[in-house]
Amino acid sequence: MRLYEYEGKMILRRNKIPVPDGVVIDKNSFFELEKVVYPVVIKAQVFLGGRGKAGFVQFAENREEAVKKIKGLIGKEYGPYIIEKVLVEKKLDIEKEFYIACLIDRIEHKPLLMLSRHGGMDIEEIARKSSDSIIKHYFNVCEKLFEYQAKMISAELKLEGELFLLFSNIIYNLYNLFINLDCKLVEINPLVITKDKRVYALDAKVDIDEDAMFRHPELKEMGIVARNEIGELTEREKKAKEAGIPYADVDPDGDIGVFPGGAGFGIAALDLITHYGGRPANFMDSGGAPTQEKLKAMLGLLMDNPKVKVIFGARFGGISRCDDWAKAVVQYVIENKPKKPMVMRMAGNMEEEGRKIFEQAKREYPELFKNIKVYAYDTPIEDVIKEAIRVAKEIE
Amino acid sequence: MAILIDQNTKVVIQGITGANAALHTKFMLEYGTKIVGGVTPGKGGMKVEGVPVYDTVEQCLREHPDATVSSVWVPARFAKEAILEAIDAGIKIIVVITERIPIHDMLYVRAKAKEKGVMVIGGNTPGVISPGKCLVGMLPKIAFQPGRIGTVARSGAVTYYIANSLNLAGLGESTSVGLGGDPILGSNFEDILRLFDEDPDTDAVVMAGEIGGVYEELAAPFIKKMKKPVIAYITGKSAPQGKRLGHAGAIIEGNMGTAQSKIESLRNNGAIIAETLSEIPELVKKAIRSNKKG
Repeated sequence: MRLYEYEGKMILRRNKIPVPDGVVIDKNSFFELEKVVYPVVIKAQVFLGGRGKAGFVQFAENREEAVKKIKGLIGKEYGPYIIEKVLVEKKLDIEKEFYIACLIDRIEHKPLLMLSRHGGMDIEEIARKSSDSIIKHYFNVCEKLFEYQAKMISAELKLEGELFLLFSNIIYNLYNLFINLDCKLVEINPLVITKDKRVYALDAKVDIDEDAMFRHPELKEMGIVARNEIGELTEREKKAKEAGIPYADVDPDGDIGVFPGGAGFGIAALDLITHYGGRPANFMDSGGAPTQEKLKAMLGLLMDNPKVKVIFGARFGGISRCDDWAKAVVQYVIENKPKKPMVMRMAGNMEEEGRKIFEQAKREYPELFKNIKVYAYDTPIEDVIKEAIRVAKEIE
Repeated sequence: MAILIDQNTKVVIQGITGANAALHTKFMLEYGTKIVGGVTPGKGGMKVEGVPVYDTVEQCLREHPDATVSSVWVPARFAKEAILEAIDAGIKIIVVITERIPIHDMLYVRAKAKEKGVMVIGGNTPGVISPGKCLVGMLPKIAFQPGRIGTVARSGAVTYYIANSLNLAGLGESTSVGLGGDPILGSNFEDILRLFDEDPDTDAVVMAGEIGGVYEELAAPFIKKMKKPVIAYITGKSAPQGKRLGHAGAIIEGNMGTAQSKIESLRNNGAIIAETLSEIPELVKKAIRSNKKG
């Protein structure tokens, strides 16, 4: 979960990494400006980078100017986002900019600390300008970091006296916060030394592992809660997200609604439908052992999409059982009486039980189920996909 | 012989009293898997499907010292402890079914497993099967038949469909391994390919990867050195860029991790690329024929 800059800075401050004094302003909290010392920098709180160049970082000499500029920023669009909050901070006299970040290296499977004496630009740019200027250290997560080790790393930055000590502490605190908060990334760029020889994190990018949120109640206490980054989502994707379904629109004119099992085959199904000349409308993932309600909501999403002419469904029962899947599909059909044909395949654990459920439903509601075909193990999945494409092409 | 598990393997199920674990314990026993014990702290003394339950892995191994494999079904927040407990007790292969284990926990587990020479498979794996011999996990038995093809895949259902298409063409599997769908995995493609390459009962390997992560690219240099042919099926060519597709792992990151970068690096290192599931059996047969001639 990515955090806003101001949230990241709250976390840095709690972990003894100095950040400039500042306040967060939204459309109802201009009174907070009482607390700031001018001149100030005003920074729009959005996830996209490049704010400076896009004009979303501004400066003000006094309160009047600040209010005017903040009013100009709030409500503005930046990429897929609408700016709701700005961070207003005391403007600093900067002498030098550094770079420091800790992240997970997915090749080495270790936390990686990166430091550079050249901050203020992104890390790719730093690497391009001089690759030897990036100091890299890998850590063993099974061992704690000692303060002397942080000092050894800090020494590579060639700082002296008080600044050496300040940077050593920042390295030590940054690594520990990275570990203690289950971070995927903590990046401070730039980390600055001011003319009066103080050190501040001028920006903060913090990304926390969603799957570890359960053990960090302190985030909730700080007002940092799991959020839907819905800025980038389509209407249907938003609806799916609210229902707890991983879903993505793939082709706005796609006419085959994809109702797969797990994510892996969901991805494969897109390729296969495309390969055989069809147009998949969506990606979807039922997750392991989905509930009946979830399966029905998944079908509903596809049936409600006016472009979708046919549903392609597949269940290879592993941890998800065929009988549960069959029950959900049958209930959905009886309750909603969909007109769209469904071409599906069901195999795997509890297949026989699932088949009986479909057969019984077909006997009781022959009219409702006349356009619903459920193939078995002996029909290759790709033949089922080709059949779905054929059915879609028949409907004009 | 198969890899990882066979008819002689003795298995422990951690978290055996959970509903899913209990159901699949039943399926595994029916398949012939020799499950010697289960572990759920606080439930020692119970039985699940006739299998004795212990409070700790150590207690279980004291009664069943020949157990070498455990399978972890506990909730994600307890997975790290469960895996470390198994490593400490002397288990050699740990098949982790649990999904969405915190990333830092998996980093820790990987480092410890490496130190102790233990193989961790998963998390979020559907399991491992040596058809006709042993099943550890939740793979549906109908998808697999005994044979001489090794398979290794990130996704569960893709594992089933590959075996399914091999079987319909008269082929079968020596062992099928699910690597798992989580972003940080205990084992990667190279670890499993290495075992298949040394296995006298495996003639060729089918590997199936998907967009996101770098495990496919990392395996490419090893494929070049292998004695046996590798047929690779990579999914995600039609996936929308930058969208999260279910698996936390399946996120396209820059150029690395795209279907195209994976296909290119695998092909450049001698893997045979399959475009669809249905062409896999023919490619396998052809590769085995020409490998034997060579």
